[in-house]
Amino acid sequence: MAVSAFNSSHEAVAARYDAVDSAYRETRDLRLLGFVLFLISDVVLFSAFIFAYLYLRNSVPDWPPITSTGHQLPRFDVAFAAINSCVLFGSGATMHYAMESWKHLNKPAFNLWMIATIVLGCTFLGGQVYEYQHVAITWAGSTMGATFFTLTGMHGFHVFIGIIYLITLFVQANTGVYTGSKYFGLTAGTLYWHFVDVIWVALFYLFYLM
Amino acid sequence: MAATIEKGIAFVLALLVGGTTSFQLYKDWSSTGLDNQVTKLLLGLMAFGCILVVLAAVGVLGGG
Repeated sequence: MAVSAFNSSHEAVAARYDAVDSAYRETRDLRLLGFVLFLISDVVLFSAFIFAYLYLRNSVPDWPPITSTGHQLPRFDVAFAAINSCVLFGSGATMHYAMESWKHLNKPAFNLWMIATIVLGCTFLGGQVYEYQHVAITWAGSTMGATFFTLTGMHGFHVFIGIIYLITLFVQANTGVYTGSKYFGLTAGTLYWHFVDVIWVALFYLFYLM
Repeated sequence: MAATIEKGIAFVLALLVGGTTSFQLYKDWSSTGLDNQVTKLLLGLMAFGCILVVLAAVGVLGGG
């Protein structure tokens, strides 16, 4: 894909986006609405677990809770989680650049940003595995451990699925599945990845900062 | 000492990512369409996440 001044303007992107047949446009808009509704349903899923966590947290007098042996559980490592959060948020930024590169017909840049996103996503997952190995609580030992592993594990699973999704999109984009005007899959992938980032904002605050 | 270094790294990264995200949000502010609106909302929340990381790095949140 060649990059020219015309191709890189926002007007050109919008014009290309609309330059599709009406049947495709209608289907694309419906799929987009369906995907946004899917993301909203995922918000409901996470909200249910988050409210359960808040309920359990408020049902004990001290947090972190005091165990039956009388000692208080330690807080989670904020410094490490802060770095890991930046890695995930950074992957959101690179994904956004990947999408913008595709819209502006800059395929080499798209490939570069996509690879960066996948690498950062894997780095985040690696950081989470490291944290699981070093955290001083277990799943079964306390409500703190149960809620922490359930919610961050569920989020980690979303990240894992997201990485597979991104790899699929990367392969599809390089095998001619998407064009300069038809790229709904990439749009959906970008929205999903941003969504996963934003869920982490809530989890980071709830478990590490609150 | 290690925690201080980690917080310093997180502080720099959060400024970098938060600045980039905010700039993208500013650049795309006038874009229309459902996908762009949702993207802007999510970018804004990501920028908010970076602010949380900065506050955690300087010790305002997360117990110092």
